[in-house]
This record gives sequence, C-alpha cells and structure tokens, in this order.
Amino acid sequence: MTTSAPVIGVVGNDVPRQLLLAVGGHPHRLTGSWEGDIDPVAQQLLGATDVAVTRLLTELREEARAVDGLVVCNDSQAHLRLFYVLRATAPELPLHLLDMPRDDSEPARRFARFQLEALAAFCSGLTGRALDDASLADAAVVEAALGDALRRLRVRRRADPPQCSGAGALDAILDAARLAPSEAVSRIDAAQTSVPAGVTRVHMTGSSHPDAAFYRELERDGRCVVVSEDHDTGDAAWLGPAASGATVAEVIEGLIDAHFERVTTSATATSADRVALTREVAQAAGADVVAAVVRDLDEGPLWDLADQRAALEGRPLISVRVTPGAETESARELVRGLVGPAVPA
Amino acid sequence: MSGARTAGASRLESAAAATAFQKEWFLRLAERARAGEPIALANADAPHELLRALGIPYVVNQWWSSIISAKRAGPASLAAVAAQGMPDDSRQYDVLPLGAQDLGDTDAPWGGLPEPRFAIAERSGDVTHKIFERWGRRPGTETFLLSRTAAVPAPAGWWDRVAHDWEDVFGAARIDLLEGEIRMLAATLEQRVGRALDHGRLAEIMALANEQAEWNRRTRDLLAAARPLPVAVTDIIPAVMVPQWHRGTAWAVEAARRLHDEVARRIDEGHAVHDGERRRLMWIGRGLWSDLDMYRSFQEEFGAVFVWSMYLAIAADGYARYGDDPKRALAARFVGLTDLLYVPPMSSSWYVKEALAHGVDGVVHLVADDTPAPGVITSALEERGIPVLEIRASNADPRATGDVRERIAGFVRERVPAAR
Ligand code: SF4
Ligand code: SF4
Repeated sequence: MTTSAPVIGVVGNDVPRQLLLAVGGHPHRLTGSWEGDIDPVAQQLLGATDVAVTRLLTELREEARAVDGLVVCNDSQAHLRLFYVLRATAPELPLHLLDMPRDDSEPARRFARFQLEALAAFCSGLTGRALDDASLADAAVVEAALGDALRRLRVRRRADPPQCSGAGALDAILDAARLAPSEAVSRIDAAQTSVPAGVTRVHMTGSSHPDAAFYRELERDGRCVVVSEDHDTGDAAWLGPAASGATVAEVIEGLIDAHFERVTTSATATSADRVALTREVAQAAGADVVAAVVRDLDEGPLWDLADQRAALEGRPLISVRVTPGAETESARELVRGLVGPAVPA
Repeated sequence: MSGARTAGASRLESAAAATAFQKEWFLRLAERARAGEPIALANADAPHELLRALGIPYVVNQWWSSIISAKRAGPASLAAVAAQGMPDDSRQYDVLPLGAQDLGDTDAPWGGLPEPRFAIAERSGDVTHKIFERWGRRPGTETFLLSRTAAVPAPAGWWDRVAHDWEDVFGAARIDLLEGEIRMLAATLEQRVGRALDHGRLAEIMALANEQAEWNRRTRDLLAAARPLPVAVTDIIPAVMVPQWHRGTAWAVEAARRLHDEVARRIDEGHAVHDGERRRLMWIGRGLWSDLDMYRSFQEEFGAVFVWSMYLAIAADGYARYGDDPKRALAARFVGLTDLLYVPPMSSSWYVKEALAHGVDGVVHLVADDTPAPGVITSALEERGIPVLEIRASNADPRATGDVRERIAGFVRERVPAAR
C-alpha cells in the first residue's frame, strides 16, 4: 500500500490528514530546510520570503514529480506566495490551496466546510477513490494511533532526565509526517536517546523548524536539550487528530471543530493565544528557559515576543533572529545565551 | 495657459483642493471624537462603506500613516513601537499609527488621532491582525477582524467583468464568507452605537462609489490616450486617493469629476509635463514617498516621464460593483481587491494591459517585502517586450532606497530606447 498510494505533498499545518488517508492518499509533509541551496530563480519568483520556503521552492523546481499532487495551506504569507508562484509557473503539477478561516463563526464554518470538501475532492482526483464512511473510520483509527505515539514521545521528552533529545524528537516527528501511518508509529516509538541529568531544559518557540539541524547544533555539546516546542513542525504539528462520525458530513464537522480549537501558527493566531500556549507547554515540560528562534522575513513570531517576555514569569526568554547563511552561528550564540557564562564550555 | 504647450504645468487644482479638504476634514473629525463621538480606525481594505452608512466617521490606517511619515513623526512613532517590545522593522507602514498614539498631542501630526472606539481590518499577511490585536487592547478600543481569503479562483482579464460579474470573478464561497462577516460586524456596530443600518442608505453609498469609479475610469482612459503626458503622476495620486478615502459621498464623486474635467482641459490646451517626451515609464508598486522629486528627475537627460501609477488605475478598474444587494456587493468590492494588484495572473495580466494602453516603454517595479510573487509580474511584462527594473525596497524606508535614482538612470540608459 505504501508504495502504490499516490503521494500528496503537504505544505503548512492545516491539513486534516484523515481526509487524505481516507481516499487512499499518502500525505507527505514538505518543509524545506535550514541550510539547503537557494535557486536564484526561486528567489526572484518569490521575492522577500522566509528562506525555508525559498529552499522548498528550489527543491520543488528540481523534482516536482516526487509528489503526485501538492496541497499548500494558506497559513502564512510565505506559503501563500509559494502557492501563487507554483500556480503561475508549474502548470503540470496538480496543486490545491487549503484556505482555512481563522475566527470561528457561522460563515467561517460554512467556508471551512467548503474548503475541506474541496480538499477531499482534489485528493480523490489524485487517488481515484471517493470519501466514504468506512474509509474515514479506518483513517481515524490509524491517525489516532499516531496521536497516541506522539503522546508517548511527549512523556519521554518531559521526563527528567529526558529520554529523547530534541533533535531526535524533531527528526521523528518530521519523518512521521512523511511515512505511512503504521511506519510512523514505529518511527515515533523508536525515538529514544539518553540525555544526562542536569542539562539545561529548553522550550523552543518562534519560527517552525524545517529540519532538525538547528536543534542538533543547539544540543551538540550536551549543555542544552530541547524538551518541548510550540512551533508547527514539532510538537504542534497537526498529526494525530481525527474525527469520528456516522457520516462524511459529521466527520467534516468534527474536523472543523478540531481546527478551531487548536492554537495555530504565529502567522495566523493571536499573540494572546500563542503566548498562552508557550507558557502552558513550557510549564508542563519543566523547561528552564524559553528560546525564540525567528527566521528573517518570518514576521509573525516577532510580534509575539513582547507578550511572551511578559507572560513567562520566572522563565527567561532568549531570542535570536536568524539570517540566511548564519544558522549555525545563531545556534551557537543561542547556546551561549541559554547556558550562561557560568557553565564552562 | 494659452493653448500653446505649457511645460512643467502648475499643480492640479484638484490635487490642491483635495489635500486642503483632507486636513479640514480630519480636524473636524478629531473635534467630534474629542467631544465623545465614536470613530473608527479602518485598514485600507476594510469595508468603509458600512461605517459610512452607519454614520461612524473613520480614519484609514494607511492614510494616517502617510501623514505621520510626511510630517516626519515616523521615527518617533517607530521608537514608541519598539519601546513596547515590538519590532520596528516589520510592517512599518501599518504600525506607524499605533506608535503615534503614544506621541502626545503636540508631537503627533495635526494634534493626533483621538482614540478610536473601533479598529477594523481584514487579516492580510502575517502581521496586520497582530497590530490590530494591539489596538484592541487599548482602553476604549474594540477590534474587529474580517477574513482575507486567498485568490482562488484567479481569472486573467478580470477588468472587463468585475463590476458586474463579480460572483464569478471571485467565487461565491469567498463572497459568502465576507458578506456573512460584514453582516455580523454590522449587527455588532448597530448595537454599540445604538443605530440601525439603513439599507437604502448603504445602497446609495454604493451607487455613489460606483459613480466615482466611473469618473476615474474616464480619467484613466484620457491619460492613457494622451500624448504627451498632460499631468504629473505625483499630482494625480493625491487627487484620486483623497476622494477614495471619502468613497460613497457626493463630495468624492464631485472631486473625481473635477479631476476628470481638469485633465480633459489640460489635454485640450496641449499641456505637457515635459516638452521633449521621448520615453514613457510605468511605476509599479507603492509610491516612493521619501523622494517625490525623483519622479521628475529623468526628464531633462532622458526625456523620460512616469505616466502611470496603480492608484488611479486601480481606482478606475478595481472598485465598481453593481448589484441589488448592497452588502453582498460591498463584500465583493473588498474580497479580492488587493489580489487584483498583487496576485498573478490577475496582477500580471492587468499590468500588461495597462502598459500597452499607456504606450509604456519601460517599467520600474518597486518590490516591497510584502509583494507576493513579484517575479511573475516582471516576466509577464518582459515577455511582451517591455523592459522591467525590479527594485527591492520598502517605500517607507529611505535607507533602503538611497540609490534608486542612479539605478533608474542606468536602466533607462541601457534598456529603454527612446521611442519618439
Ligand atoms: S497601497 Fe496597497 S497596501 Fe497600501 S493601502 Fe493601498 S492597497 Fe493597501
Ligand atoms: S495615497 Fe499618497 S497622497 Fe494619498 S493620502 Fe496616501 S500618501 Fe497621501
């Protein structure tokens, strides 16, 4: 099944995977990277855009056929631009925009329903299978199993000392968003590393991380460990939620409820909601410090920093802004800030 | 003004009149607000007509921002933003008014903006909603956000269809959402100010706005056909923009008509902005407010005049919406308005059409950080044989635009042959 299922690329964090799985699709999240090449044409097409997305466009222009179709979420300006550019320049790629509204209301729910039905129709077109009650129920079971595995991972990370490094966890979560559901569960469960006691426990906020390179650099010399995060390629990735219902319409209603209940990425959520999430997760994970890593041109998180500083009583917040090419230095600078001069290198 | 060609013609009366009216109007509005009348701060792409129909005076965020910059209160306003822990290098143009609220009546332009009772915006980009979230935390101000859906569908060639055929151009689902939100906003505002929305009044306002758009369309058509250029773009911009902020009033219709008549008269009288016009240039993107003289500075050496800016052109093609239900037509006016300017293929096909209609020889494309997919617009023009210079800069930030003149001069010299 894994090899034959059409691969549906997913950019962004609003896609309810249950719908893709139910029509026999294989969701495959695409995130770009921290350090990959940048094609000047991609750069020129996108203009001033979060470099992780420019790298993603670079990859897509090289091998668009790695996916059978692509769903892009309107959950940040960078993603929306990517959609517009692909629509204008890659006519051969089956492409769909998922445009979920942000404020819950009756008209917003109607629009969300329209969006999820259109998403299902697009994916059905790729797989040749329509949405039905039975396949939605099956998809709910496998997706929920992934949710359970992620909860187990969360417990391991929050243990003292943690039983999984931040980089190990992030790698596993990113892989899980690309594997078939059953393999994803074993991948998550295999994410276990031993971390010595007494290491500085870090909660990560700010921009999402396209891969684990930054975490790896942060954890390299063993002084820090990322025990939790609230960005949407890590623990806040929308993996696991599934809705049950007797009919397709009921399931879609359930998914709309779930969409409006979660706190989405900084570009779409209020600062107040983002900050409440940061505080709650950092607290639950017993983080010593909160680190905000914000990539250049990813503006949303910058506007949350003031509130975050004010709200994290007792827990210091250290922020860095990362410019393209300076990722490694920024990570090192952050470590120095996090562990302080008192700790010998 | 004898009928012989007058070069470097004196300033448009319509422009001077609009600018004078605007200050007058603001001072009156501020006075009423200080006397306790609720006013609104609205983003440029919020449904202003609803506020007008409800009798709630409003100030447009981007307009107020331009006044703050022009009165040199920008740096102090940004410093106030930074003092609150917010970034001062992100969305400067949208956040200046928020910072200016902390300046005090003497440092803020024109005595400052009285605290708005309502702050209303469509969610555009990653940050507008966060700036308006901050407005909503100020005592006495309540924020309302409307959804901004993405440009799907996105038809090329929309300009001939959008005034009537808007259901199709934007898609009914998108209009449904914004219309629903406008209805909810209307109900809340009615409750807050204790007045009922009069549908007849809203329909009237929509009709006036359509009339205004028709005058703008005629003015644009005149300018597209006129050789040489009879009026400087920098004069056209205030003469068309100030009335836009008063859209839906008899004054605005009259101002648009007056602009049209004045342009027609200048054409009849044979005015020329520059006598030796040999190259016609198009300016895509927001205006470079920090250096207005720049627009005139290529005339002597190259005979190059800027003949086009988006302000009149979008006012001509983008705003008219006819229909029986004024709330739905209002939703259709705003649901995809900025997409027409920025999202290909709507944007790219439109710039090509306008460039051809105006006989443009070269294009300067100012690409701001929030311009999506600029490369697609540039290539659409170049494919039609129109050379394009892309300049990446924020129009509000003088540091980023220091060498613009030299770059444009180089571009004109090397890539824009004299057509006449
Ligand atoms: S120039 Fe663009 S961003 Fe500025 S007010 Fe007009 S539409 Fe909005
Ligand atoms: S558009 Fe230009 S002239 Fe009109 S108000 Fe804004 S800055 Fe001033």
